[in-house]
Amino acid sequence: MMKRGLIFFLMVSLILFPVFVLGQGLTDTEVVIGLTTPLSGPAALWGVTGLGAQAWANYINDQGGVHGRKIKVILKDDGYNPARAMANLQEMKGKIFAVTALLGTAVVSACRDFFHENKMPLILPYGNTRMFVDYPKEKLRYIFVAYPDYEDEAAFFTSYAIRQMGTKKITLFYQNDDYGKMAIEGVKRTLKEMPGKGELMATIPYEVVERALGTHALKLKESGADTVLFYTTMSHAALILKEMAKIGYKPKSIFSFPMGDPIMYKIAGEVWEGVYVAAPANSGVPGADREADKVAEIIKKYDPNIVGKEYLGVFGAVSMMYVVEGLKKAGKNPTADTMIKGLEKIKNWKPEGIGAPATFDENRHMGVTGVRIMHARKGEHVPITDFVIFKPRF
Amino acid sequence: MDLIESYREELRLIRKPWTGFWVGMIFFAVILLPWFSPEYYAYIATLIFIYSIGVQGQNLLIGYTGQISFGQAGFLAIGAFTFGHLSRLGSPILINLLCAGSAAGLFGLLVGFPSLRLKGPYLAIATLGFGITVYQILANSEILSGGRMGLSVPKLTPFLGLTKSMSIYYFNFFLFLFFTLFSYNLVSSYIGRAFIAIRDNDIAAEVTGVNLARYKLLSFAISSFYTGIQGGLYALLMGYLEPNMFTFMEAITLFVAVIIGGLASVEGSIFGAAFVILIPQIFSGYKELVPVIFGVTIIIVLIFEPLGLFGRWMKMRLYLRNWPFR
Repeated sequence: MMKRGLIFFLMVSLILFPVFVLGQGLTDTEVVIGLTTPLSGPAALWGVTGLGAQAWANYINDQGGVHGRKIKVILKDDGYNPARAMANLQEMKGKIFAVTALLGTAVVSACRDFFHENKMPLILPYGNTRMFVDYPKEKLRYIFVAYPDYEDEAAFFTSYAIRQMGTKKITLFYQNDDYGKMAIEGVKRTLKEMPGKGELMATIPYEVVERALGTHALKLKESGADTVLFYTTMSHAALILKEMAKIGYKPKSIFSFPMGDPIMYKIAGEVWEGVYVAAPANSGVPGADREADKVAEIIKKYDPNIVGKEYLGVFGAVSMMYVVEGLKKAGKNPTADTMIKGLEKIKNWKPEGIGAPATFDENRHMGVTGVRIMHARKGEHVPITDFVIFKPRF
Repeated sequence: MDLIESYREELRLIRKPWTGFWVGMIFFAVILLPWFSPEYYAYIATLIFIYSIGVQGQNLLIGYTGQISFGQAGFLAIGAFTFGHLSRLGSPILINLLCAGSAAGLFGLLVGFPSLRLKGPYLAIATLGFGITVYQILANSEILSGGRMGLSVPKLTPFLGLTKSMSIYYFNFFLFLFFTLFSYNLVSSYIGRAFIAIRDNDIAAEVTGVNLARYKLLSFAISSFYTGIQGGLYALLMGYLEPNMFTFMEAITLFVAVIIGGLASVEGSIFGAAFVILIPQIFSGYKELVPVIFGVTIIIVLIFEPLGLFGRWMKMRLYLRNWPFR
C-alpha cells in the first residue's frame, strides 16, 4: 500500500515539477508571450504591430527558438478599450510568461499595475511615456519602454525648424488629447529657451471623430504661420493637408512620428510630397532603412496581412526582438526575475541593426527615446538628420 | 406566467419554493465564485455587475418609461470623473459613489426637460447632443479631466483580509445586489407603474392622474443616477480615467444591452450587460472578426428572439415547468 502511494506521489511530482520549477507560461519546449492589442475599433490599424510581433516570433521559431524553446504567442483583441485589455490580461494570467506591445495610453495606464502585482515583465508598451516618470521604482522594475516622448519630440521639431529651416512663426495643429497637448508644452518649452527666435501663432485642436477639416485649414492659414507642426492620426494628416491645398496654403509642414510610414503617400496622395516627418528611434522605416526592409520581407512571409502596412509591422516585430533578446540573456531556465535582469543587461543594442541603440540597467527602464527627421521626396521618406536622442526620463 | 391572486402576491419577488431554491443556489454560486474560479472569471463577473447597474438604469428610462436617451456616455463620464476627483481628495468611497450618482442624476434631471416637449428621434438627438457636450467639455478642460495624463484614481483597498480581486468582486457584487433589489421594488411601486403608464400612453396616464412632467423628469434622474454609479464603479475598477473612455460608443453599448437583454425587465438588463461584456471577451481570440461576430450575434438574437434574452429565458422556464407535458 505504501509502495503504491509512493509511486503515485512520484508520478504527481513529476507531472507538476515543470510547473513549479519553470513558472507560469514556460515549459521545456515553449515560452508563451501575451499580446492584447486593438484589432478592431477606432485604432484597429495600429493592431498591425501585434501581427508584426507574432510574425517575428514565428520566424524565430523556425530558426530554432530561444534556448531550444519555441515562442508561442497568444494574441487577443481589446478594441482599444482598457476594460477589455485588462480582461484579456486576466484571462492570459498563469498561461503567459511576459507581455509585449500593449497599445494606447489609456490601456497602458489602466493595466500598468497588473505587471508588478503578478510579477510579469511588460516589454515595450506603446503609450505616453510620462505615465512612468513618477511610477514607484519597485513597480517600474517590471516595465521596459522604448518609445519617443511626445513633448521632447515637439521641442526638437521647434528648435530644428528655427535653426535649420528659417522658421519664424509656428502654428500647431493637434489632436485634442494627451498626445496633442504634450506637443503644445514641447513647442512652448523650446520657444522659452530661444527667446525672440520664433513665435507661436496659434494652437488649433481637432477631435478624433471629426472628418470635415475645412474650417481648421482656414484657421491655420489665418494664423499666418510659415511652419505648421502636426500631431494627428494618419487619416487626419491626409485630410488637413488636402484642405490646406484647396485654399492654397503651403507652409513648411512637420509631422509627428505616427505619420512616419511612407504609406502616407497612398493615404494623402500628391500633397504629401515635400513634407517633413519624424521616424521613431526605436524602429526603422521600410523603404528608407535596409535593415527595416529585411525585417519587413520576413514578417510579410509569415503574415500576408502585413503587406502594405510594413511600417507598423516592423514596429511590432522590434518589440518581439526585445523579448527574444531578454530571453536569450535570461539563461536556459528563465524566470521573471532573470528576464528582468537579462533585459537590464542590454547595452547599446540595435535590434537587427534597426533604429538607435538602446540601453537598460537597474535604474534605467527607458531604453531609447528619440526621433530623426525625414523628407518626403518622390514617393519615399528620406532621412535628413541622424537620430536625435532625448534624455531618458526613468 | 404565474397565476396571481392578490396584490400582495404580485409584489413578492419569489413566489414559488422552487424559484427560491434556484435563486438561493445562484446566490451561493456567485458568492463562492472567486474562491473556486480563476481570477479572470471573477474579473469578468465584476464587469458584468458594474454594467448591469447602468443597464438597469437605462432600462428604467427606455423599457419602463418609453423615453429614449443616447446621452448615457455623458452621465457615465460625469459619474466617473466626480468619483475620481473626490477619491483623489481622500473622501470615503461610498460617499464618492453617492456623489457620482447624484451629480449624474442632477444632470439627468436637466436633460429630462426636453423630454417634456420632445419625443422619439427628436429626443434621441437632444440627448445625443448632451453626451457629446460632456465629452467636449472634459476633453477641453484639464481641470475637469485631470490634464494631459488623464486622471489616476486610487483603487479599492482590500478589506476583511480578502485579496484585492476578491474585495473588488464582493464590493461590486453587493452594490449590484442592492441596485437590483431597488429596481425590482421601484418597478412594482407607484412610481414604476407611473413610468409604465407613461410608456403605454402618456395622455391616458395624465388623464388617470399621473403627473407627466414629474415622472418623466424622475425617470431621467433615476436612470442617470444608476449610470453615474456605474461610472464611479468603473473608475474605481480601472484606476484611470480619460475623456476618450466615454465616447458615443459607450452609449451605444448600453443601448444594445437594453435591447438585447429585453425591454422593461430587470433580469433582461443583467442578461444584456452579460451579453455586451461576454461576447467580445469570448471571441477576443478571433481578432479583427470580433465586431462582426458581435454584430451578427445581435442580429440573430433580434431575429429569433424579439423579446431579447429575457424573452428566451421566460420561454425556457415555461418549457421546463410544463415538461414532459409540452
